[in-house]
Amino acid sequence: MNNIQIAIIGAGPAGLSAALELKKLGYDDLLVFDREDEAGGTPRHCGHLGFGMFEFKRVLSGPDYAKKLAKLAIDSGVNIKLKSTLTKVENGVLTFSTPEGIKQYKPTYTLFALGARETPRPDRLVSGTRSPNIITTGALQRFAYLQKIKPFERAVIVGSEIVSFSAIMSAKHAGIKIEAIIEEKDEIDSFCIIKYMVKYLLKIPVLTNTKLKNINGEDKKVTSVSVSTDEGEREIPCDGVIFTGQFTPESSIMQKSFDDFNFSNNSLYISQNFQAKDDGFFVAGNVLRGALAAFKCYFEGKKVAKNIHDFIRFKHQPELIKIEADENISWYYPSMIDLKSPTKQHLTALRLKRRAKGAIKVLLNGRMIYKKNIHAFPFMSINIPWKDIELKPKDEIKLEFVSS
Amino acid sequence: MESINLNHLFPTKTSNFAKDEIFDVAVVGAGVVGCAVFKEFCEQGAKTVLVEKANDILDGASKGNSAILHTGFDAPPDTLEHKCVQRGYEEYMKIKDDYNLPFLNTKALVVAWNDEQLGKLDAILQKGLGNGVKELDLLTHEQIMRKEPNLSLDAKGAILVHGESLIDPWSAPLAYVKKGINCGGKIAFSHEVKDGHHNGKYWELQTSQKPINAKVIINAAGLYGDIVDKIKGTQDFKIIPRKGQFVIFDETAYNLINSIILPVPTKRTKGVVITKTAFGNILVGPTAEDQESRTDSQTVKETLEDLKTKAFHMLPALKNHKVTATFAGLRPASDETYYRVSINDEKNWITAGGIRSTGLTSSLGLAKHIFELHNTRYEKNPKADEKVTVPNISEFAPRDNQKEGYGKIVCHCECVTEREIKNACHGELGAGNIGGLKRRTRAMMGRCQGFNCEAAVTQICKNEVKNHE
Ligand SMILES: Cc1cc2nc3c(=O)[nH]c(=O)nc-3n(C[C@H](O)[C@H](O)[C@H](O)COP(=O)(O)OP(=O)(O)OC[C@H]3O[C@@H](n4cnc5c(N)ncnc54)[C@H](O)[C@@H]3O)c2cc1C
Ligand SMILES: Cc1cc2nc3c(=O)[nH]c(=O)nc-3n(C[C@H](O)[C@H](O)[C@H](O)COP(=O)(O)OP(=O)(O)OC[C@H]3O[C@@H](n4cnc5c(N)ncnc54)[C@H](O)[C@@H]3O)c2cc1C
Repeated sequence: MNNIQIAIIGAGPAGLSAALELKKLGYDDLLVFDREDEAGGTPRHCGHLGFGMFEFKRVLSGPDYAKKLAKLAIDSGVNIKLKSTLTKVENGVLTFSTPEGIKQYKPTYTLFALGARETPRPDRLVSGTRSPNIITTGALQRFAYLQKIKPFERAVIVGSEIVSFSAIMSAKHAGIKIEAIIEEKDEIDSFCIIKYMVKYLLKIPVLTNTKLKNINGEDKKVTSVSVSTDEGEREIPCDGVIFTGQFTPESSIMQKSFDDFNFSNNSLYISQNFQAKDDGFFVAGNVLRGALAAFKCYFEGKKVAKNIHDFIRFKHQPELIKIEADENISWYYPSMIDLKSPTKQHLTALRLKRRAKGAIKVLLNGRMIYKKNIHAFPFMSINIPWKDIELKPKDEIKLEFVSS
Repeated sequence: MESINLNHLFPTKTSNFAKDEIFDVAVVGAGVVGCAVFKEFCEQGAKTVLVEKANDILDGASKGNSAILHTGFDAPPDTLEHKCVQRGYEEYMKIKDDYNLPFLNTKALVVAWNDEQLGKLDAILQKGLGNGVKELDLLTHEQIMRKEPNLSLDAKGAILVHGESLIDPWSAPLAYVKKGINCGGKIAFSHEVKDGHHNGKYWELQTSQKPINAKVIINAAGLYGDIVDKIKGTQDFKIIPRKGQFVIFDETAYNLINSIILPVPTKRTKGVVITKTAFGNILVGPTAEDQESRTDSQTVKETLEDLKTKAFHMLPALKNHKVTATFAGLRPASDETYYRVSINDEKNWITAGGIRSTGLTSSLGLAKHIFELHNTRYEKNPKADEKVTVPNISEFAPRDNQKEGYGKIVCHCECVTEREIKNACHGELGAGNIGGLKRRTRAMMGRCQGFNCEAAVTQICKNEVKNHE
């Protein structure tokens, strides 16, 4: 058993920027762990451009961005333990599987920065055949950019979140033809400029209001997908299907290990300090809620580092109030308010599951104390100000969306 | 960019025996039944070949089941099924440690969810006792809740079946085949038996590769049992495939139950089983849907939703957990409920067909039964008592990632190591297709379904296959 001061699990943008910042603040007894054999996190396989603009004032590809972050961390003396998979958290002890055997650490402070994954086919309960050629954008990127493998010839993309654009670029890189993008909703799940780019520049049909009914094929092969629209059912021939988006936190280890889990966010409850209820645990990056852009996770990492620093210096005793949310809300954070924290809470950010008009309400002990009329898109965050609200211990707060 | 389709990753296997070799016995079909029969005959000293049309074992009914080792408490009394289930269970207990096979005695609860079902518990108990299963208890609502605090409060009463247990449905048959090969048995993958005739001395089977000669044929062709049986000249039964769809939940749900939750069987509706699996998940299913097709194992959204709804009713906390996988298995049911096991002495032909829904448990017992039917003496194989082991991939014992030197973990969700994947690609019993690789390692079977590892697994397998050409 090794006692250390700070452990950061996950060497993606959030974990690495937190490590960099903590190092700058003078913390040396610090280890970063990642299960991969390379630091950098998810951007390692996002082979296209679109990273680094805010952090480094340069447009970088994902892999270049990942390399740069990892290099910065290593150059500043951050110790990164690779091929170390966190498998258990119990009584403050972290257990890792490593090629050198099981390793255990007992950190005083732990930051989870485990990232997120897309929802693959099973949790979407899709009818049809099973095949290794039914994949996610993340898998496609790893085929195309990391292994240089083209797994199939022509594919249909399911879902139209911004990440589906990544899927198109990755497919293009691999030489895979995209037959169509299909979206169940009546409009795409990202800014409509994307739709026009895809449709007119890339000449890929974007089929909204289109449901995936069945993946056809036998014997582990895909031959086509059946889709239904208002006009009826049709088949689109393809030999691969790419499910995109519906990001979900990589949080199973937290769900297994902690009693109090926030099922709305699929993550731990965290305060405005990014601090969990259990003593010494912090959470940052996409494992809080699903995917935001890398730069947001990078800045969140910096912020949580400062919070850890403050917590170590001032050691206040947290006084936590939980915030709950109804099922219209896809995620929100913070999900607790720490009344004793030196960082005063000003905002709660949230997103809705689908586009809707209506009002966001904040209920304090069942009584509405705040209301905001909104026209929300699932890919845009909504902020709720807290500054004028007085809170007491044991208050109960709930976020509600009521459509108009 | 290299085009690699996972479906064509593994080369077609060839057999390693001479064309004019005459075997004592040819077992057709490497499902769990064929694998167990192969082991038995090889151990007994018969010169045996296992003939399989797929490029790997377990490509038919045996690839997707609930993985419960049954006690036979609810088996149709005094049938061959009843006998073989109990004998199979006993045999499994005898050999499991030698083979490094997992076993977890979770026990099962047959739960009554309404008064009608409650009224049936006593009959089930009596049937169980009559079937020779002594360790049965009737539980009250309170007793159930103490054992299973997460179960819905609607549970009215239950029978506790002490013996019901969980095993790894893929490693067990793999071990059986390995044992057979160790005793000198031969195996012919990618050999589909197309036809055959008896030349007065022995059977000549035509296959999709080279012909196979054997004095006795044992038909264990599962979903194709009736078709293969036609080769002997008469057809005594018809296979009516019965699909069973499943929903598998993430490992986060694993501790929600302790025992296997079984339904009270009723005539109209077949209930849903909720159980842990050897791989650390929760399994919900299976359905029972008769169909024509012997290959169609597609899942249906509405059915999966229905399974989820039923499971949430019984185990409300399951709602908070993600679905890791959905799949369907096909039972080789026949036009009658009983096992279609028979011997035709004149034709030197044994049929082991219609092994519908208990084959995983009964296979070792069935194998002994078939050898007794066969009624021929051989000189016992000198290696019959030798141990062979298979790697443990279950959660019931330490796995490869807990032993150093594994390279790295490739599949993060299921903690599958590079060493495990490489080993699974090699040898006569190496993976023959992507499904076989999954069944030997669990790679890509977790919650991310390959988001993290599918590309890397493909690369590793490609290199391994190439290096060993
Ligand atoms: C397909 C795709 C395309 C994207 N495109 C863009 C884009 O163009 N621009 C953009 O700004 N953003 C993009 N993103 C989002 C961006 O990648 C993420 O916002 C960012 O990587 C999140 O950073 P993170 O540190 O929270 O998590 P991650 O980068 O995911 O890092 C988490 C790390 O934790 C490790 N880990 C997880 N569990 C364990 C464990 N149990 N033990 C040890 N280590 C563990 C993982 O190996 C991983 O390295 C994309 C994301 C995806 C999936
Ligand atoms: C949904 C479901 C749940 C189940 N749950 C359980 C359980 O919990 N416990 C339990 O004990 N049992 C269970 N079972 C039952 C068990 O899985 C079956 O009884 C068993 O798999 C039947 O095996 P088999 O070897 O007879 O058939 P198969 O597995 O179908 O094997 C037959 C083999 O023959 C091959 N073959 C076919 N035709 C030819 C040919 N012409 N030439 C060469 N080879 C050929 C096929 O490719 C196949 O590999 C379940 C079954 C299902 C479907």
